[in-house]
Amino acid sequence: MQYLPQLIASGISIGMIYAVVAFGYQLTFATSKTLNFGQGEALALGGLTGWSVTTWLIAHGIGVGVAYLLMIPIVLIFGMLQGAVVERLGVRQAIKTKSEAGWIMATIALGIIFKNLAENIWGRDALKFPSPLPEAALTFGSVRIQPMEIAIVIGALAMMLAVELFNRRSIFGKAVVATANDRDAAGLMGINTGLVIAFSYALSSMAAAFAGVLVAPITTAGVSSAAVLGLKAFAVAIIGGLSSGLGVIVGGLILGITETMTGYFISTGYKDVPGLVLLLLVLSFKPSGLFGKATIKKV
Amino acid sequence: MLKIENLFAGYGKVQVLHGVSMEVPTGMLVTLIGSNGAGKTTTLRALSGMIKPESGSITLGGVEIGGLPSHAIARKGLAHSPEARRIFPTQSVFDNLLLGAFPRLTGARPKGDVQGDISKMFEIFPRLAERRAQLAGTLSGGEQQMLAMARALMLQPEVLLLDEPSMGLSPKLVEEVFVVIARLKSEKVTMLLVEQFAAAALEVADFGYVMENGRLTASGTAASLKVDPAVRAAYLGSAH
Repeated sequence: MQYLPQLIASGISIGMIYAVVAFGYQLTFATSKTLNFGQGEALALGGLTGWSVTTWLIAHGIGVGVAYLLMIPIVLIFGMLQGAVVERLGVRQAIKTKSEAGWIMATIALGIIFKNLAENIWGRDALKFPSPLPEAALTFGSVRIQPMEIAIVIGALAMMLAVELFNRRSIFGKAVVATANDRDAAGLMGINTGLVIAFSYALSSMAAAFAGVLVAPITTAGVSSAAVLGLKAFAVAIIGGLSSGLGVIVGGLILGITETMTGYFISTGYKDVPGLVLLLLVLSFKPSGLFGKATIKKV
Repeated sequence: MLKIENLFAGYGKVQVLHGVSMEVPTGMLVTLIGSNGAGKTTTLRALSGMIKPESGSITLGGVEIGGLPSHAIARKGLAHSPEARRIFPTQSVFDNLLLGAFPRLTGARPKGDVQGDISKMFEIFPRLAERRAQLAGTLSGGEQQMLAMARALMLQPEVLLLDEPSMGLSPKLVEEVFVVIARLKSEKVTMLLVEQFAAAALEVADFGYVMENGRLTASGTAASLKVDPAVRAAYLGSAH
């Protein structure tokens, strides 16, 4: 059991990545009751775009740390645009016609299209992402942590906190929450709820793209692992509850830590199993998620 | 101020309104009464853009608003306190009021004194002042009704639509709501009040319309409707 703290520490950073992507799922679900099933691809595109921007900046003589920081706003904007495209092409019409399932197929289809696009631009192989922080691990007692892993946790929390603050403090954020509460009533307040939904898709993909550039320096950038990551983050959103901000963080940590534990104590071949078993248990016993509030669908 | 001509509307294939024409003059309190299912709420929903009218004309201050999306109609100055209140449950009372002023805070309508208007709402509805920081979802039914009305007033509307403000409230609270409506009337707020509680509505209104099965069957000054034998028999429960 001496490796337990190490396994937990390693699980936390990957868990926070899941949490950020799961947070993205929540953003669109709150305003429109729809989800972007291409979140994994949005993460991959963010990572790859970040890779291109960072390597270009480095090639032009900019230091890797500065290049990474300069790249982040560009990737955030790129993520927002990509999310807006998904909303416009895949979701808007489905919401307008109150289609129950149209958006599911449409967002999956757009995810596949984005994946193919990425494979043709950047190739199928994972790309080594230049790390903005030293790769040598820091030692805390028996626990070794890469500086980038700490950056992931800080970056992930900062992003979620920024969105929460925006929602609570600004009148536009309050309009987003109002739309999530009651779309028709929000419309009566003069809030353009269609625009709010488009914005939530933009924010959602922005979160995924940000997760992509956070995780890439410790893994790699590429499309191959993205779909799985998107799916796991979806499991996190379900485990934590699609309406709870705290839920995705706890859900992400649970999944991240159980994965590293299983990988170590059982086999890396089974590392995805506990999270998925947990997903099935949650769906059986508390379908609204560990932190979600039960909602009754009115007919 | 608000003029409706030959309005047809409904839900999908179910037509509810069959050619409704009515008028709400500036500074007047007009009431629309009728039994359950007559189409009163549907009328308000068509006016504020919650449903799209099939045909007919709706003008606000001479500007056609029929068929516009609800947010665009609100920005033109039509406020709607909807059936079942529809307050924002996870936001504070104060934030609900701010959201009522959304078009004013975002430049779509003249800003005026938003903070001052919130203070005024707290003066008109003292219960809301006590609960200003509380989440709106935790309010009682009566308080939620007050909040829905205050939130709609925060638009500083040209016309205020009130849908069944007495619904589900105790007699004492109904009385309180009507006292507020009378006060708003004395301040020359232009209102269209939908009510099942016809006696109270006709008591406070200047003018009234009676709706049956999606058509207007009677209209006149509130005083004349109150003594109209047919209206009395059907809605005021005093046929003898």
